Amino acid sequence: MGWIYWFSSYEHTKPLALVILFVTFVLILLYVYGSKKRGEKLESYKNIPFLDDESKPREDKK
Amino acid sequence: MFKHEWLETNIGLLAVATMLAISIGGLVEIAPLFFIKGTVEKVDGVRPYTPLELRGRDIYQREGCYLCHSQMIRPFRDEALRYGHYSLAAESQYDHPFQWGSKRTGPDLARVGKKYSNEWMVQHLVSPRSLVPQSVMPNFPWLLTTQLDYSDIKERMRALRVTGVPYSLTKAEYDANVKKFGADTANMLDINQAEKNLVKQAQDGNYDGDRSNISEMDALVAYLQVLGTMVDFRKYDDDEFVKYR
Amino acid sequence: MTTTEIGSNEQYNFEVVKKFAFMSVVWGLLGMSVGVYIASELAWPFLNFDIPYITFSRFRPVHTSSVIFGFGGSALFATSYYIVQRTCQTRLVSDFLANFTFWGWTAAIALGDISYTLGYTQSREYAEMEWPIDILIEITWVVYLTVFVGTIMKRKQPHIYVANWFFLSFILATALLHTFNNLAVPISLFSMKSYSLFAGTQDAMTQWWYGHNAVGFFLTAAFLGMMYYFVPKQAGRPIYSYRLSIVHFWALSFLYMWVGAHHLHWTALPDWTSTLAATFSIMLLLPSWGGMINGIMTLSGAWDRLRTDPIMRFLIVALSFYGMSTFEGPLMALKDVNALSHYTDWTVGHVHSGALGWVAMVSFGSLYHMIPRIWNTKVWSEKLIGIHFWLATIGVLLYITAMWISGITQGLMWRAFDQYGNLQYSFVESVAAMHPLYVMRAIGGMFFLSGMLLMFINIMMTIRSGRQAPAYIAAPGNVSAASA
Repeated sequence: MGWIYWFSSYEHTKPLALVILFVTFVLILLYVYGSKKRGEKLESYKNIPFLDDESKPREDKK
Repeated sequence: MFKHEWLETNIGLLAVATMLAISIGGLVEIAPLFFIKGTVEKVDGVRPYTPLELRGRDIYQREGCYLCHSQMIRPFRDEALRYGHYSLAAESQYDHPFQWGSKRTGPDLARVGKKYSNEWMVQHLVSPRSLVPQSVMPNFPWLLTTQLDYSDIKERMRALRVTGVPYSLTKAEYDANVKKFGADTANMLDINQAEKNLVKQAQDGNYDGDRSNISEMDALVAYLQVLGTMVDFRKYDDDEFVKYR
Repeated sequence: MTTTEIGSNEQYNFEVVKKFAFMSVVWGLLGMSVGVYIASELAWPFLNFDIPYITFSRFRPVHTSSVIFGFGGSALFATSYYIVQRTCQTRLVSDFLANFTFWGWTAAIALGDISYTLGYTQSREYAEMEWPIDILIEITWVVYLTVFVGTIMKRKQPHIYVANWFFLSFILATALLHTFNNLAVPISLFSMKSYSLFAGTQDAMTQWWYGHNAVGFFLTAAFLGMMYYFVPKQAGRPIYSYRLSIVHFWALSFLYMWVGAHHLHWTALPDWTSTLAATFSIMLLLPSWGGMINGIMTLSGAWDRLRTDPIMRFLIVALSFYGMSTFEGPLMALKDVNALSHYTDWTVGHVHSGALGWVAMVSFGSLYHMIPRIWNTKVWSEKLIGIHFWLATIGVLLYITAMWISGITQGLMWRAFDQYGNLQYSFVESVAAMHPLYVMRAIGGMFFLSGMLLMFINIMMTIRSGRQAPAYIAAPGNVSAASA
């Protein structure tokens, strides 16, 4: 259980924070770009501004 | 497993996650400044403002001087030649709020004290271009003609005392100030004697050249003349303060 | 002209949007007029006229508050209320509370402006309002959060559109910043005067944590929210990449809060803090440009719109200025560049390339798009929008060019040494050298202001036609339009 003290030391907060934040960032990236199906679903939300409107959106050319 | 979808469809979670994301930076950078000892240097001489200087500082703020004049000398050779020793955190430790400024439309004022005579200061505030033709500073003639209102000086000092400035109300606080700053300064910091001290300093200092009344000019010049003069840098080695940076 | 548009006056609360949109234009005109006046005071000091109330140093906060919080703030209230209703397809949760935010906010700006001219100021840049006004703002802001979140909670759309994320983070961050930066002890309950709770270094850090994040969340995140709705709408095509918007939202929200201390390089603030801020400032370039690219690429394949549509031109040029400012910002956050640029007009130029080029232009585009729609009419003159665009663009370019030259000149003159190692210039020589550039800056401001005046006229006429001719939307069953 000695390893747990490593976290309590002030000097180790910087690498620790870096690791946590970087992992979070990678997880966000993986979530957003990791799956094609999820990606398509996410991209479908871009049409929300047009759902209540007078003019229909043009087809997304991508 | 975590799903970003929870955030996208739940305003409460989205708000909490956002709050978390935006709080970290401020916490990490601001909170330690209150606890790390080296943030404010150990240095002799810095004291809270006297009642008259304090009123002068209020007027400095009221007229918006901080918008064109900084009070923060940076550690560069040109600034050392132009303005003097670089500013220490300790020198603004009683400044509520700080007046470091962000723009030098006019020169830095952190060490302007005692560099010009009172007469020059008064003339320059009333009509800057009569002394410095290219200056773009506004005239502040009303400072000379407006009586200084010091009826609420005690309230002002009491408010600052709440924020932690060592103005004394009780005997114990007064004694502590005598120990820390010496008897003369401790008298000046005594809230009970504030009005008497203010009048006396204005009369003795005769900042605006007219002893018959106390104008706002008296207060402002008293403040300007003390800026940057509290620390005697001859007592310290050149690199004494580097370790605090 | 379809069925959804007809019911929209009943479906949505556009009354509060109208009020805010109108006040935004009024504050813009007022704040920019004051801006031109104080710029002229620096070029020709006699304009101070020895009148305390209009002296540069008391007048400058009137300019900054009126444009940032009056013009920008009202535009944000208007567009956020508009967007949140239309993307959630639901009416604001409470008309009364929404109305309260309008009067609370408008009163706060008006009181602030009056109090500055009278000499009441906390002397904290961009947070000069004294404590009673701060409390009014605090209350208004909590109500704003309630209305915004309440409206999202009753949405008909399961997904919360990304524009609303940006507005939410702007509202939360502003609440946080406003609260902590304005902690102060009043000298008595019946006095406007207060002293800030913190002193010196800690106070400086708090103020610039506030100051830069007012830029980051008030003037950036929120206007990105505006962008994420109005650029797709005006272009008639959805945003380029929704996934990019998610990533850049989280990165921007997280990174911005770290960078405030780059305003305090080389000061008595400890080095570790400003180094950290400089590092994060560089990283911030990525999410900033993510937003810019996302906006501009939305137009990909329809670039011809730029030739024909002046509103689109406003929006796209705004994004270009956003990209430029967010490149210039990290550059100025480097310690070596900052040593030269800090305390000079370069900073003023940088702020204005962001504030005029990005914030004002994206607001102009959005207001021109939105105002005819909420008044159910057509814009009075498309041609005038085109002229406004050119006046604004020339104005910004003149302004920032003048400030680049003057800033760099100041920086170089202050640090110049002669052959004997003495300072080459006295301070006042640098002041004298600024004169032609201050004139140029004032002229740039006048261009921008005259564009604003055209907008005011155009909007007034548009509103009038909206009121006079409710028959324009004379579709069966529309009762509310006549009273609108």
